[in-house]
Amino acid sequence: MRRGRGLERLILAVVAFDLLFLALPTLVIVVASFTAGRIVAFPPEGFSLRWYQAILEKRAFVDAFLRSAYVATVCTLISLPAGTLAAIALARWRLRHALAWQLYLLLPFTIPLVVSGLGMILLFGRLGMLGMLWPVGLALTVINLPFMIWGVAACVNRLDPDLEAAAANLGAPPLHAFVTVTLPAVMPGIVTGGLLMFILAFNEFIVSLMLVDARTVTLPVLMYNSIRSTITPDLAALSVVYILIAAVTVWLLDRLVGLETFLRAR
Amino acid sequence: MRRTAPYLRLPRRRFLSGAAAVVAAPYVLRLPRATAQEKPAEIIVRAWGGVWEEALKTGVSDPFTEMTGIPVRHDLTEDNEIRPKIWAAVDQGRVPPIHVNWDTTTNATKSALRGVTEDLGDLPNLEGLLPLAKPAGLEGWPLVNVYSYAYVLAYSEKAFPEGAPESWNAMLDPAFRKRVAMYDDGIGLFAPAQVAGGGRFEDIPDNMEPCWEFFRKLKANEPLLGEDPDFTNWFQNDEIDLACTIISNAREAKQNGIAVSWTVPKEGATLDTDALWIPKGLPENELYWAKQYVNFALSAEAQQAWCNALGLPPVRPGLEPPADLVGDIAYPASEADLDRFLRIPTPVLVEHESSWFERVNEIMQG
Amino acid sequence: MKSCRADIGTGGRSDRSFGLRLLDLAESVRAGLFPARFSVWTPYLYLLPATLITGILAIGLAEMAETSLHVLNRATFRPDPAYTLANYAAVLSKPVYLRIMLKTGFAALLVTGFTLLLAFPYAYFLVRTPHARLRRFLLVALFLPFLLGQVIRAYGWLIVLGKQGLLNAALAAIGLGPVSLIYTYGGVVLGLVQYMLPFAVLLLAPALTAIPHEVELASHGLGATPWRTFRHIVLPLARPGLVAAGVVVFTLTVTDFAMPEIMGGGANDFIANAIYDAFFQLSDAGMGAALGIVLTLFASLIVALAFLLVGVATLGHGAQQDAGAGR
Repeated sequence: MRRGRGLERLILAVVAFDLLFLALPTLVIVVASFTAGRIVAFPPEGFSLRWYQAILEKRAFVDAFLRSAYVATVCTLISLPAGTLAAIALARWRLRHALAWQLYLLLPFTIPLVVSGLGMILLFGRLGMLGMLWPVGLALTVINLPFMIWGVAACVNRLDPDLEAAAANLGAPPLHAFVTVTLPAVMPGIVTGGLLMFILAFNEFIVSLMLVDARTVTLPVLMYNSIRSTITPDLAALSVVYILIAAVTVWLLDRLVGLETFLRAR
Repeated sequence: MRRTAPYLRLPRRRFLSGAAAVVAAPYVLRLPRATAQEKPAEIIVRAWGGVWEEALKTGVSDPFTEMTGIPVRHDLTEDNEIRPKIWAAVDQGRVPPIHVNWDTTTNATKSALRGVTEDLGDLPNLEGLLPLAKPAGLEGWPLVNVYSYAYVLAYSEKAFPEGAPESWNAMLDPAFRKRVAMYDDGIGLFAPAQVAGGGRFEDIPDNMEPCWEFFRKLKANEPLLGEDPDFTNWFQNDEIDLACTIISNAREAKQNGIAVSWTVPKEGATLDTDALWIPKGLPENELYWAKQYVNFALSAEAQQAWCNALGLPPVRPGLEPPADLVGDIAYPASEADLDRFLRIPTPVLVEHESSWFERVNEIMQG
Repeated sequence: MKSCRADIGTGGRSDRSFGLRLLDLAESVRAGLFPARFSVWTPYLYLLPATLITGILAIGLAEMAETSLHVLNRATFRPDPAYTLANYAAVLSKPVYLRIMLKTGFAALLVTGFTLLLAFPYAYFLVRTPHARLRRFLLVALFLPFLLGQVIRAYGWLIVLGKQGLLNAALAAIGLGPVSLIYTYGGVVLGLVQYMLPFAVLLLAPALTAIPHEVELASHGLGATPWRTFRHIVLPLARPGLVAAGVVVFTLTVTDFAMPEIMGGGANDFIANAIYDAFFQLSDAGMGAALGIVLTLFASLIVALAFLLVGVATLGHGAQQDAGAGR
């Protein structure tokens, strides 16, 4: 049995290491953001909120934040109907060539992001859509749509087809059945997918890097450009904004869907 | 090339001793056109980070804003990254992403040849500039060179108690393994490498085997590959003893109290220029104010403050050099001084530089 | 555990009659536009928006393929109009690209290996721990970094690993160091392992949940040591999850851009960085596109192999009625 305890200890040790490993960059950013000094160094010099004030006063940061929020909203608004309907179609009906449809809709996962981004530069350029902000939101929908489909599909798979059939038998016309039976049933999946789409778009970097310019720059790209020259504490304060948004999303996911849903066998 | 890379910032550098405070000498806007143009919400200028951005801000952008009321935003997009974006914007008839591009002369010339740059010939402040300001091999003024700079051999005084290294071959000395640095694409080192590798400068670009041999030997010495702010940072953190870099970056470390110096070794050093240019496709009023910005950057006041902060010789003659660089071997004080340097003609650079970058990349990514 | 039928999104019952009237109106519009006899097309109507959106990617890929067939005219910096395979020949013949591919592939193997080693115990513990609060804590600790982008996390690592960073401050305090992990191959791998860990755990956990705890208990009851139970029961049953997690981590790493770009310091490029540099640094869209197509083929090959191994359902959108065939 001593060997058995060894295994248990090993698992606990790895879990403890993982926790530290996962949390380290986040914790360090939070600590660094409260420094009173002009540089990021350890241990930090004193405590102050000056860098939070600094990011609020810097128009470029505020503008980029608002652009990121806009882009994430556009992305979510397009994904919600498109992803939900596709997930329901894939899961509920026995489609001909179902495998081909699945593979096709997984293209965003199999095409490397850098390739997707360059492909869209070429396409959007030809269509005269570069230099505007909403196409960036569309592009982020394109690359992340499988997350939305995946979120909803996990729920549709548990949807009892008899329920819809029952609704139809009772004379509910298709749209009524959809709105009153199907939609509520997959709502947790829609919430999961929608939240994921929003936060992924809010954080997206590489495809945005290629599609935005100085007039449409979003926050992750602006941060990347700043990191390349100087690592100043104002970026830590900006990162904390991201950490807060992630925390709110985790809280929402937990409240609305339950984090444990993600552990369920599929 | 010369893009900026991450570094942990060191304590605030001391004030530049030589750079006189920016005295907002009454600057008269001599407008090329008489009509008053509506002011844009902002002027976007692409810039390099670190000491470069600071110098542009204090020397040009802030005084410009003070004078005109137009805010100036610096876009730190990499110089290479902005180029295809501007080209695409012009090709597709869109408004370009920036108003003014601060660029290497080689890159600027590529854009000029592509026909995406506005002519600056009507700027009043072109008058009286050194011939160096005029772009080579191009009609008119599709760009204007704003200062020159040498890629020097910077060294830590601690590692060279006897004095400056005499030859670029010092970079190959195994004693400095992992303690030498260069630009990540090799920029600035091609000509000295060619000579130090036993070749002739005149053989560039036809026979550069000695140059590549030098890079291969350098690779064996495991150099750090970086961008402008990296060199400052590495000297300050005592990570390197030798670097091929622009004087501004080494000087920044020196002004932070690090015992760093620089030299032009016996093989010579590359001299090059940076330029400003304006992309085509701006609305008329924005083009007008972009031109005013470039015009102001060429004024005596702006040239004095901007170039002194960088430690580089301006294209406007007769200005006061920074006190710490008077008589410096790497700070050409007159036009005659320029001839002491290795100057690869811009047309050659335009044609070959990107394939040299590829070559260095092939050697270094091994 | 809440069920997927959690009653959310059904708020606003108070103005139900108005809602229903609206629904009736919509229904009649639908009936006019899309009468019942069209209903065989309903599934395809549902698929239409997603198909169009994904089509943007397909067209983009076609644009890339077209671009890859033109070499750059270095005099004008425009693509030469003639069609040629020269870019592909260059990709395959230049040793630098081969080396970058090997470095990328090796990094992906390292990252996949380390990530799975770290993720498996976490996922196992997460699924098996009887303490609800602990599980919740572990989930939050997993999700919070999961929802942070690569730029933020790389920035965090720069602070941890930098010369004046936390690690060197800690080492200096005990009289060691400084170490240089930042801007090295090892640093990139480290950053990527941390980035991939939540992905791997979230892909592994459902597979582990699917293993009935009773099987383990039975094995235990029959006298098997925990190690033996682990090796002969848990590990084989977790295989689909391991393969899924491994494939996702491997492909995400092979195609990654941000970590080598921010953490690599210039000399540790991955394929994606080479593609980007060809496009932007060298203005050679054709070469970049050719490299991109090669990378896409490679990534697709990996995913296809994975499909053959574990079936679409594990990775895909999980149409569960087909899942039996895959497992």
